Amino acid sequence: MEKNIIIKVCMGTGGVASGGEEVLAKFREMITESNLNAKISSNCHAQKVGCRGFCSKDVLVDVIVDDVKTTYKHIKPDMVERIFNEHVINGVPVNEWLAGPEYNNFHDKQTKVVLSHCGDIDPEDIDSYIAVGGYNAAKKAVLEMAPEEIVNIIKNSNLRGRGGAGFPTGLKWELGLRIKSDVKYVICNGDEGDPGAFMDRSVMEGDPHSVIEGMIICAKATQSNSGYIYVRAEYPLAVKRLQMAIEQCLMKNFLGNNIFGSDFSFDLKIFQGAGAFVCGEATALMRSIEGKRGMPSPKLWRSAERGLWDKPTVLNNVETFANVPKIILNGANWYRKLGTERSGGTKVFSLSGKVRNTGLVEVPLGISLREIIYDIGGGIEGGKNFKAVQTGGPSGGCIPAELLDTEVDYESLARAGSIMGSGGMVVLDENTCMVNTAKFFLEFTQAESCGKCTPCRIGTKRMLEILERITSGKGKDGDIELLEELGNHIRATSLCGLGMTAANPVLSTLKYFRDEYIAHIKEKRCPAAVCRDLITFTIIEELCKGCGSCKRVCPADAIRGTRKSPHRIDKELCIKCGSCFDACKFKAILKV
Amino acid sequence: MEEVVKINIDGKEVEVPAGINLIDAAEIAGIHIPNLCYMKGMKGVGACRLCLVEVEGLKAPVIACNTKVRDNMIVKTKTERVQEVRKFVIDLLLSMHPLDCMTCTKSGICNLQKYAYEFELKESSFTRKKFGYPVDAANPFIKRDPDYCILCGRCVRVCKEQGTNVLDFMGRGIESKVVTANDRPLQESECTFCGSCVDACPVNALLEADRWRKGREWEYEKYNSVCMLCGCACEIKVSVREGDIQKINSGAKDGSVEKYLCAYGRFGFDSLRAESRLSTPLKRVNGELKETTWEDAINIVSTKLKEAGKNTCIISSASITNEDAITLKRFATEVLKTQNIGSTISLYSDPKVFKNSGKADINSSDLIIVIGLNLSQWDRVLPAIDAAVRKRVNRGAKLIVINEAETGLSTVASINLRGNEIESIKAIITALKQSGAEIDKQTEEYLSDVREITEEITKSAGMILNAKSPLILVSPELFNAASNLALIKGDIIAVYPESNARGVALMGIETESKSYAEMTDSKYSLLYIAGNVPLQNRPDTDFLIVQNSYMNDIAKNADIVLPVAEYLETSGTIIDYAGRIKHLNRAIDSHGKSKSHREIFREIAKKMGTTLKMPVESEIKKAADVKAKISAMPFEKTKNLHFEPDKFIETLNLTVINNSRLIWLKEAFEVKAEK
Repeated sequence: MEKNIIIKVCMGTGGVASGGEEVLAKFREMITESNLNAKISSNCHAQKVGCRGFCSKDVLVDVIVDDVKTTYKHIKPDMVERIFNEHVINGVPVNEWLAGPEYNNFHDKQTKVVLSHCGDIDPEDIDSYIAVGGYNAAKKAVLEMAPEEIVNIIKNSNLRGRGGAGFPTGLKWELGLRIKSDVKYVICNGDEGDPGAFMDRSVMEGDPHSVIEGMIICAKATQSNSGYIYVRAEYPLAVKRLQMAIEQCLMKNFLGNNIFGSDFSFDLKIFQGAGAFVCGEATALMRSIEGKRGMPSPKLWRSAERGLWDKPTVLNNVETFANVPKIILNGANWYRKLGTERSGGTKVFSLSGKVRNTGLVEVPLGISLREIIYDIGGGIEGGKNFKAVQTGGPSGGCIPAELLDTEVDYESLARAGSIMGSGGMVVLDENTCMVNTAKFFLEFTQAESCGKCTPCRIGTKRMLEILERITSGKGKDGDIELLEELGNHIRATSLCGLGMTAANPVLSTLKYFRDEYIAHIKEKRCPAAVCRDLITFTIIEELCKGCGSCKRVCPADAIRGTRKSPHRIDKELCIKCGSCFDACKFKAILKV
Repeated sequence: MEEVVKINIDGKEVEVPAGINLIDAAEIAGIHIPNLCYMKGMKGVGACRLCLVEVEGLKAPVIACNTKVRDNMIVKTKTERVQEVRKFVIDLLLSMHPLDCMTCTKSGICNLQKYAYEFELKESSFTRKKFGYPVDAANPFIKRDPDYCILCGRCVRVCKEQGTNVLDFMGRGIESKVVTANDRPLQESECTFCGSCVDACPVNALLEADRWRKGREWEYEKYNSVCMLCGCACEIKVSVREGDIQKINSGAKDGSVEKYLCAYGRFGFDSLRAESRLSTPLKRVNGELKETTWEDAINIVSTKLKEAGKNTCIISSASITNEDAITLKRFATEVLKTQNIGSTISLYSDPKVFKNSGKADINSSDLIIVIGLNLSQWDRVLPAIDAAVRKRVNRGAKLIVINEAETGLSTVASINLRGNEIESIKAIITALKQSGAEIDKQTEEYLSDVREITEEITKSAGMILNAKSPLILVSPELFNAASNLALIKGDIIAVYPESNARGVALMGIETESKSYAEMTDSKYSLLYIAGNVPLQNRPDTDFLIVQNSYMNDIAKNADIVLPVAEYLETSGTIIDYAGRIKHLNRAIDSHGKSKSHREIFREIAKKMGTTLKMPVESEIKKAADVKAKISAMPFEKTKNLHFEPDKFIETLNLTVINNSRLIWLKEAFEVKAEK
């Protein structure tokens, strides 16, 4: 019997960054150039696949021998030869490099709908997508279904906008269909900009055709003949793969005139954003496509009535579109049952921060935060204590340990003072200062404010200044109240979502971690020992062995002492970089 | 009938037109909703967040500038909640503001100051910051000081709406800034220094460059008047302090597309105090012009006029008031009994055109057809009309440009019909006829050999049929041909270079025997030139009287020079291109010993033994009230009109340009053109 061998090398952004291209090249070289037996080389091929989510273990490589999949982690080009010789040729996996149970646990607890093909198919090859059933849904929608029928399925599926606000997708499409116009647009919002979020990027890079297929179905449902995918230029790989996908679709007549041989036409273009966070806001995004400065405008009309160039426009997020083909194929009920009563389906999160398994996870809505962080994420790194989880990026909030059993859906997260958002999930441990975390997010929003409306432009800056003051030990009585006042006013008066939610990280940390703010202001102390101006480093004489490691790494030359006798830190010179703290093997340095 | 809705604002029941926004509706109810970024006539952008109001039935406050009235709406504009957030917004703005109201030129008219006062904010409750941005003061017209800017975007929007497109935002967040392309000084951009941004700025970020210590708003006497420098005849508001003009702003109604004033009209007033301004009568003694008294001058003039009698020839400018024109007409017919009286009008138009030119408000037209006009803000060819057309287009009107070659307006037109204008008009009329429009029989007769009906022509005809109130703006030479189109639908207005051509023509100064060109070329024993005419060399005449405000080339060649008050020193009326009577109000005293045209004519007449009747309002109204009669006309250009509007307007304004800071502008543009 000849063995059928497929080698899949992860070439998402993480995979490429970790050397995926070299690994793949090495495998291909081994296959073609090594003096192998001809039977193997003719039945063995290596391919690139998109992100499978577990980026911290990249480069991940699957070796599939006759449908038996073995996954390796942290593969470097120089490891390829051994895998090839031992596993591919001789059939014995290299045990010490296997990804192991951790990898399987990470995936087993997930429900993959959007990501079902990510990491499995070659994103640069349309046939690879077609082989797993791709474009069947679009074909069905275009050839067999009436627009109303599609709209009804989407409505019944309970799919809600995955960009963050959670507007029911079916309702949006229904309005889009109802408005009559000579020109209508479908736009895919791929301007993912939250710090720590990479869900949309992974989908666009790992399974670009699913997004395009979703858009085709939307176009048919809303009777629109042209569309745009708005991708930020900072995602060159996504742009490249989407472009390839569009070209392949044109060749197959899945896009263009009379698609699938029907009388329906759909033209799709990519528009690259210049990297302004605010362009993820629908009205700003449309202005940007129009060639204007990306600034939100007040909504006198819904986009479905007047959007791009004042024409009816249905705009959805990447993930929303990627869900659509599966809903069409598997039915509304199947999808609805995956989620909660009010929100159907699954949601992809980028799990990052102080969690053991960082990466991309897809879970059914209604799962608890605890399950995501502990069961999938493997708990907190280094055995530390969990402190909070930040969801929803700069527009979201921090949820504390006591609310870990909160269900993940739009309403529950909002009740907890945060938002679902686009899917960023940053886990914070006991060593995280919450004031500093709030400051980090506010630094981001105030810099990304478009500057149009007063509260967001000036208000966020003023909040940031207060936070800077607090974290540098200059906080004053009344600062907490001022922050709350500012935050509430900015929320109430801002023009767009960016401003309205800008204060969330501050308001939610004030709600759950007020004592940390008080410690900073009143005691001039940072409980997590993070805020540099509030901490001191001291060497505990009894523990110091006089090894000199700390002295060697100190960039400020602030450590004095002779070998084998206790060292001392000159507080005047110390710049509080923490290098000595990290370098000390005897835990002799005290950071308070 | 306009549709109205009933709303309740702060307990007041009012009926307002349907479709207007809450700020305008509240204004009708006599309630002011605070705002910094709203501009009447333009879409609300919701940037300042000051106009938040509560509407019954809605959870959160809404911005009034962008909320339309609905029937039975109950609006509260002064609830505790909205007052609190308004105060918050002002507080934030103050935290980025210099707060130097005690020396700020804008004090007294600054909206930020007004609201800070209203909300009892002596200073910001937040840390105050200042960027210390450099001031752009490299030109003599407009000073830009970004440190005062509150980012309301009004300047950006007016500049964009009128199509000048010089200003925009740059940067993000707190570092957002209003800039020209690449943040270069204004003169390195496409700026025309019209100063619309200055009129729009609610604070001290954009201001007339020379205003420092020239008084503040409450120190000025204000006069509404009219700019007489070109055929736009823009309404102006003149600010006067201690007998001198300190600034001129656009005087048009807020929200009107005619709210515009070009650099000439706004900044040209320094020429009033220029050295070349004539302050006393001059007479030629031994070949040189010497100062003399009015008594002497009038003696000489009346003697000379008596001698010349019917052989006197008078040429008048069309930039004089109706009152001056009517007096001149009387002077010629009653005193001199000469028929040799003409004006500069015949250079660019058949005076009959003004009897038939219509009346219309460009603000209410939904389709504008511009025929044979090279309007341009940049070349200052009727710049206010150019701006008004562009604004109408930005507010939703359609534009058809019919012109021999491409013009500036072509870029914003819905349809451009290039090539021979007459042929295009004929083709459109034919297309209208094919679509079933009723065509005048006479027109049909004139309509022969029509060229091919292109798709664009059909589209143009469709636009005309669909429009509610089309407006045709046409050059005088094409007026007759275009009349045929207006006969089918729409208003027609002739547009021309001099401010009161229509008034001067209607007051009876029109060529009865010879044209301007013929008069200046023939030999008369006495030539009397009243006002500013584009003549440089002395025509062949025994005696030349020049009655002008400046010592220009023709005045230098005169035998007698009589100094005339400028338009800012005169009262009176004019009739603008759209047929509206506009009032001039004397803002300052006449320069030196200069007098108005009509005073001079009356004094001469008196010396010659006739007391001329003073012009009265009713006779001007009567003369102006012509029933425009549009009739079918042959498709021909009016012959013998040779003039280039840009050169003509520049020549007319040469004295103003050369004797004011406008000379800087001219030089800067010449330098730019060389590059």
